[in-house]
Amino acid sequence: MNEKAVEHQETRETIIPVRKYPYYIEKPPKENRVGRFLEAFAAVLKYSDYKPLLDSYCTSNTKCNRCAVACPVFLATGDPRDIPCYRTNLILDIYKRYFTIGGAIKARLTNGFELTEEIIDDMLDGFYRCTACRRCTRECPLGVDHGLITRLARYVLSLIGIVPKALQVSVREQLEGTTHNTSKVPKEALINTLEFLSEELEDLLGVKMTFPVDRPGREYVFFCAVSDYLLEPETLMGNAAVLYAAGDWDKWTVGTHNYDGINYGLFYSDWHLENIIKQLVAEVTRLKGEKILIGECGHASRSAHDFVPVFAGKEAYPVTNFMEYTLKCIQEGRIKLDRDIVTKRVTYHDPCNIARSGWIVQQPREILKAFVNDFVEMKPSGQDNYCCGGGGGLVSIDEIHEFRMSVAGKIKAEQLRQTGAEICIAPCANCKKQLKELVEYYKIPCTVMGLHDLILKAIHIPGGKSPQERKEEAALMEM
Amino acid sequence: MAIFQHGSVSIDVDEDGFMQEPDKWNEEVAKALATTEGVDDMTEDHWKLVNYLRDYYLKYGIAPMIRKLCKETGFSLKKVYELFPSGPAKGACKVAGLSKPTGCV
Repeated sequence: MNEKAVEHQETRETIIPVRKYPYYIEKPPKENRVGRFLEAFAAVLKYSDYKPLLDSYCTSNTKCNRCAVACPVFLATGDPRDIPCYRTNLILDIYKRYFTIGGAIKARLTNGFELTEEIIDDMLDGFYRCTACRRCTRECPLGVDHGLITRLARYVLSLIGIVPKALQVSVREQLEGTTHNTSKVPKEALINTLEFLSEELEDLLGVKMTFPVDRPGREYVFFCAVSDYLLEPETLMGNAAVLYAAGDWDKWTVGTHNYDGINYGLFYSDWHLENIIKQLVAEVTRLKGEKILIGECGHASRSAHDFVPVFAGKEAYPVTNFMEYTLKCIQEGRIKLDRDIVTKRVTYHDPCNIARSGWIVQQPREILKAFVNDFVEMKPSGQDNYCCGGGGGLVSIDEIHEFRMSVAGKIKAEQLRQTGAEICIAPCANCKKQLKELVEYYKIPCTVMGLHDLILKAIHIPGGKSPQERKEEAALMEM
Repeated sequence: MAIFQHGSVSIDVDEDGFMQEPDKWNEEVAKALATTEGVDDMTEDHWKLVNYLRDYYLKYGIAPMIRKLCKETGFSLKKVYELFPSGPAKGACKVAGLSKPTGCV
């Protein structure tokens, strides 16, 4: 080792924490993690409604382990620490021992459970091996929501500084930064991107549509996962094409104070969840909008749909997922999709955050049936689907890429391969990113895209080029 | 934070080797960062891509939409991956001195 390398090595040693964490943490707590965890847990219990829930889970949790067979992570590893019930019991044991009288007495008399540094390690690892997909919840005979326990555990851990840096820096930018979004897209860049998309749409469809920005009094205020403005032009163009073809171009707007539907609070922090929701509705209020229209993103849809009514008070605007909107347009005969455009075999991946509750399962299938001839389901699918392997914020954590591929996404990759589909529709920014990485990792000959990417190919645009014309043009481009 | 050293270049980088202070970027830094991406020789095409990203970043504060990048440089996405094997966001942007992409990117 030369002198510089030695110096570099020394610098590294001073920065790498003594304890090895599975993901990057900004300021890892160095000492007394047990005491601080209990203090944070006490504070959360004091200022939230978790106590009655935990009391109930303590009496109902039978450790029957039926959840094990539902969990894609456990099925891939066979490691008992990956059983949802095992993780949940870490939290319940701590709760019983330190926050119930019976548990405290029992521990004194029987030399029972004590929280240790090792259990903290077990939790910070285990609760980020869970993708919070909540498949296990449907299997639990007593209805324990292990996904909720994952969020609670991550919440308490985050309060003592244990949270993946990838999530923390994104949320900080969203709430405290100048751009107010997770990908740090400034307003000027947003406008430049919308102008670019408008030019692309004109080239493709033969009609000019200028994106409505900061228009007050519109029915819909549109929020996608802000990453779509960097990565998913066709999803956004598909969204625009539907709004235009349906005759609703003057009924929607994008706001420039807040244009990000992402809410990582749903994955690790109730406090952030609430504040991001408040920021979202504040933009609708500023623009005097009537409804929140969420683009193709599972957790953005779920967080808005489930928590706007909880946290927004008088500003609780109705929340619509874009697929609901598109299906309504089809049913009302306001848009037409050409049946002869998509000839490849198509499958559909259900994003857990919108499918598990049964909210959005049938809508995308009805849309696909309107123009796709060779549609095949994954088995199982719908409410019982398997997670893509990147849920619960895991997809944003680059350093656990190998875990997401070889463990969490293993079953999904196998399911996808078995369909033989050439196109996999994944209407979610999280799922799309994970599945695109999965098909590459497992070398599956399948293209992953959003639902509106496919709709863009088949939609009839009044006064524009026909889908058939566009298909011929695209074929020429490829030659 | 760590310090990345290569030749006469010494810069602060994050865990994945992205620059922490994008203002300190120059061509020497780009060449040094490129070595971490398996690019030892920055060809004309590499510079075309990196300079486009750099200019867009200075003007708009972020990388462009990938489709725009391809359209304006004339490179297909495949070509971008050939130039920088870890791709536009993690490879090319790193060499252009942008900080690590955040959120669902």
